[in-house]
Amino acid sequence: MIEVSELTKTYPGVVAVDDLSFKVEKGEIVGFLGPNGAGKSTTMRILTCFLSPTSGSARVAGFDVVEQSMDVRRRVGYLPESNALYGEMRVEEYLLFRSRLRDIPSGERQARVGEVLEKVRLTDRRRSIIAHLSKGLRQRVGLADAILHRPEIVILDEPTIGLDPTQVRDVRELIRGLGQSHTVLLSSHILSEVEKVCGRVLILNRGRLAASGTPEEIANKLMKTARVRLEIRGNGRAIKESLEKTPGVERILWSGKGDLQTYLVEPKEGLDLRPVLMKACASAGWDLYELGYERLSLEEAFAILTEAPLKGGPG
Amino acid sequence: MKNFLALTRRELGVYFVSPMAYIILTALLLIAGLVFYTSMGNAVQQRLPVDFSGTLAFIVYIIVLTSPLVTMRLIAEEKNKGTLEIMLTAPISDAAFVLAKFAASMVLLAYLLVLTLGYLVIISRYGLVDYGAVACGYFGVFLVGAVVYSIGLFVSCLCGSQVTAGVITLAVALILIMTQMIGSTFAEGSFWREVLGYIDIPNNFGDFLRGVVDRTRLVYLSTVTVFFLFLTTRVVESRRWR
Repeated sequence: MIEVSELTKTYPGVVAVDDLSFKVEKGEIVGFLGPNGAGKSTTMRILTCFLSPTSGSARVAGFDVVEQSMDVRRRVGYLPESNALYGEMRVEEYLLFRSRLRDIPSGERQARVGEVLEKVRLTDRRRSIIAHLSKGLRQRVGLADAILHRPEIVILDEPTIGLDPTQVRDVRELIRGLGQSHTVLLSSHILSEVEKVCGRVLILNRGRLAASGTPEEIANKLMKTARVRLEIRGNGRAIKESLEKTPGVERILWSGKGDLQTYLVEPKEGLDLRPVLMKACASAGWDLYELGYERLSLEEAFAILTEAPLKGGPG
Repeated sequence: MKNFLALTRRELGVYFVSPMAYIILTALLLIAGLVFYTSMGNAVQQRLPVDFSGTLAFIVYIIVLTSPLVTMRLIAEEKNKGTLEIMLTAPISDAAFVLAKFAASMVLLAYLLVLTLGYLVIISRYGLVDYGAVACGYFGVFLVGAVVYSIGLFVSCLCGSQVTAGVITLAVALILIMTQMIGSTFAEGSFWREVLGYIDIPNNFGDFLRGVVDRTRLVYLSTVTVFFLFLTTRVVESRRWR
């Protein structure tokens, strides 16, 4: 459905997308993950024919984005990151305008607009002026527009950015629903976001594909280097020294006030230390309050996945 | 074609949702009305046939001077708000997009001009009207309008903000109605005096008012329009490569 090969896009002085190649098969929901400036939006803009690549090629639904731009545009629904809409129009009026622009036959327009409004649950707001809607509702208008012409492929750039948790859940549900009949490519800089809806994740860093795989594969990769977090009551220094003797432990960071101390245990490559540490605590008779993987911050996760050197890090 | 019409219709709608159309309309009818009233009064007093060309000349000036209000928004706003992205990823070519914007401004112009036809109805009750000359004059207004609107559209596509686009367009419009004056500072018969006189809008318009369609003027005005529409399209296209 989407075939990108050796795609490069340079802006004066900046390489936004650097020799990027990937494929998305029909019916997949694929997530584009990467920090800001990784080239996600630029790639999406190329796929939607808003920009042209500097070199390399991209085919969407079998059509070249440069040579057969109109064919591509007819088959793609796009929600840009800015989700800019004509604020002075009413929701229904706007969607009718867009359906005219999309050459949907006049007899079908009203029904089609009604159908997408139902899908994004905006039917009761169809007479509202877009500028008066909340950000979450506007996002739904953008989504409605993206699926109005029943595109084969839906490209969503940061569909949940700036929404509150309830709205995020709503939009996520919508996207999951889209996956049943469309091929979806969405971008995000939130790992957990992509994990929840995507069957496959492409990780972009500095315009290059840094890693790809199912969310589980990505998670496993992260786990291999993840630190275990322990909370134990007792003498901090003694416990630390004792824990350091446990096989498989590379390094321990220790912090905490008063009685309850926190330890971050860094394992040797690829080891899951949780059971070992549990036993160590039990045999020493310490009161264990918490044991689990430490949640990685986004920067740390990216650093691990993209194998870039980690700067600093918490102590 | 269907999407071209959809776009033109939307653009036209925006003029009437915002105060723009009404501001221009008020200025036009107020000033043209005053000029018409005095010229009518003079004609009736002196028992002369009513001359409509004075009113038409004022209409041209008003159209030229209000052109920033018509065109500044057209593309600058889409760039500024980001709606350009959803428009230019829809199945509509860059050229159709530009032409639809231009077409909307021309329909607005036609609408404004139709409203001034009321003056003609009044004249026709008091005396003879040279309908040929009047039609020719209106045709001239339309051509001049096309020139300033196409230039305004071009400026709008270069600017990131409406205000900048408006100010620059106004400056260009002012220069266009003063080039003869600027040219007169050069020596008689000099190259620049000739050229500037030729560019001058009132100069281009004079013949039309007298009921003469001068082919060179016609070619000049329509070429400038097409040229700026072409440039606008190229600038819109250039976003892909930049």
